[in-house]
Amino acid sequence: MSPTNSMSSALSGRNPADESAPVRIAVKDLNFYYGQFHGLKNVNLNFHDRQVTALIGPSGCGKSTLLRTFNRIYSLYPEQRATGQILLDGQNVLDAKVDLNELRARVGMVFQKPTPFPMSIYDNVAFGLRLYERLPKSELDGRVEDALRKAALWDEVKDKMKQAGTGLSGGQQQRLCIARSVAQRPEVILFDEPTSALDPISTGRIEELIEQLRTEFTIVIVTHNMQQAARISQFTAFMYLGELIEFAPTTKIFMNPDKRQTQDYITGRFG
Amino acid sequence: MDAQNPILAPAPAGAPSLRANRVRPSRRVADKILITASTAFTMLGILVLGSILLMLIVEGLKGFSPLLFTQPTPGPGSEGGGIANAIVGSLVLTFLGIVIATPVGLMAGTFLAEYGRGSKLADLIRFLNDILLSAPSILIGLFVYTLMVRPMGTYSGWAGGVALAIIATPVIVRTTEDMLRLVPSQMREAGAALGAPPSHVIKTITWRAASAGIVTGIILALARIAGETAPLLFTALNNNNWFNANLLGGIPNLPVMIYQFALSPYPNWQGLAWAGALLITITILALSVIARLVIKDQRAR
Repeated sequence: MSPTNSMSSALSGRNPADESAPVRIAVKDLNFYYGQFHGLKNVNLNFHDRQVTALIGPSGCGKSTLLRTFNRIYSLYPEQRATGQILLDGQNVLDAKVDLNELRARVGMVFQKPTPFPMSIYDNVAFGLRLYERLPKSELDGRVEDALRKAALWDEVKDKMKQAGTGLSGGQQQRLCIARSVAQRPEVILFDEPTSALDPISTGRIEELIEQLRTEFTIVIVTHNMQQAARISQFTAFMYLGELIEFAPTTKIFMNPDKRQTQDYITGRFG
Repeated sequence: MDAQNPILAPAPAGAPSLRANRVRPSRRVADKILITASTAFTMLGILVLGSILLMLIVEGLKGFSPLLFTQPTPGPGSEGGGIANAIVGSLVLTFLGIVIATPVGLMAGTFLAEYGRGSKLADLIRFLNDILLSAPSILIGLFVYTLMVRPMGTYSGWAGGVALAIIATPVIVRTTEDMLRLVPSQMREAGAALGAPPSHVIKTITWRAASAGIVTGIILALARIAGETAPLLFTALNNNNWFNANLLGGIPNLPVMIYQFALSPYPNWQGLAWAGALLITITILALSVIARLVIKDQRAR
């Protein structure tokens, strides 16, 4: 089976891209530096509301770097900095005046390795809720249950909410992390290779979950797996050496890309 | 090196002693010598340690009796007696030391691992902490003597506690920093990504994730100061009575009691010194075992 054939079967089940969806995040002339190293070079692209956008490209191309600018998580490391604009609903998140904690409540993030905190399942999900909201117990319980249902984990953990989150399986831990993010009711959820540490069955469940979450949240996902990008995303951005090479609806990227480099990458000629 | 490897090298036809042909004889001799030497010196170490322990157990058990835990140390020339006052005094001094050292060590270790990462100040503090870690303990005794005993005009449990705290602190700083560094940075990022400020991430996530290791460090520091003698000679000193509740004046304690009684001419004092030494050794052994169990429990989770 040629790569293009397997790609078209991966593409067949998807919902088509909605290019008329409003722009949620607009990236303008974004440059990123790790100390002296120029990690992102003049990146410009738009992310549409309630669509899944996949960032693909070979290792070191800057896709994770781009993802990490949207919630400014890079600012934990003083030697990293970004210039340009990232407009989230028109507000520049790179502006020094932006309240980082508030920004991060609006833009959730799920990491490559599951990161359950060393506390109970309930406390894991309630972690973000307890930070800024003082909710009565009954409402907190409701929000936790709601988030766990959205993360398709409720049925598996409803009888062991007091047990440690670290005792769950890898796939369950990752869904717990998704629930933790969803509980804060963010607008955007960022996924940084969320399935690369998981087995195929857990991967399938996470992919289904992302498809469901799309009805409520704008989603950006970094993935190494091109089939995965084809299966779950509406838009795809191909990056190479810190530059955005091509951005288009996923069907176009995989079936009929404009750029030669994109064509070579998705057919496996390099990368 | 591959050419020397008998598995990777093509087998020569009809060569029965493959290794003998391929490995130079001098290497085999060097190999034998190294194995023999390291085994011999290991045995020597075990022999010395074992005979110390054996003698301690034999001599210590002779003096072991319930009276040890009920009677205070006897005066010169009087018969019998126990070491109850020294046991209680040691407990008080060690407790005092660890109560002072734990918050200081925990906070400093947290600074080094979390806030000061990569800063010049943190490098300097880490360097000084390592020096303090290996400083001769008698120097610390003299330092506290100048700092507290002379101005206060009397030996005291407070001075002894401070001296022990100065010895325990660098141990706790070091283990706290090392254990916090073992917490994956993704854990901190995940906390920050939910909008938690750094102090909240440290309190609710990283400390908790590293708790077993930090507790182990505190227990090991406890084991370290439980047997320290030199810093107490200049600070808490010793006496033969029950101590004052205000901890002023000499405070009886096991290490200095052992030091003084072992050098005395009275057989019953020497017996008490052996029993005290055995008691301290058992305590330190127990603390080390507990520390290992705590770590094991953490790994299991």
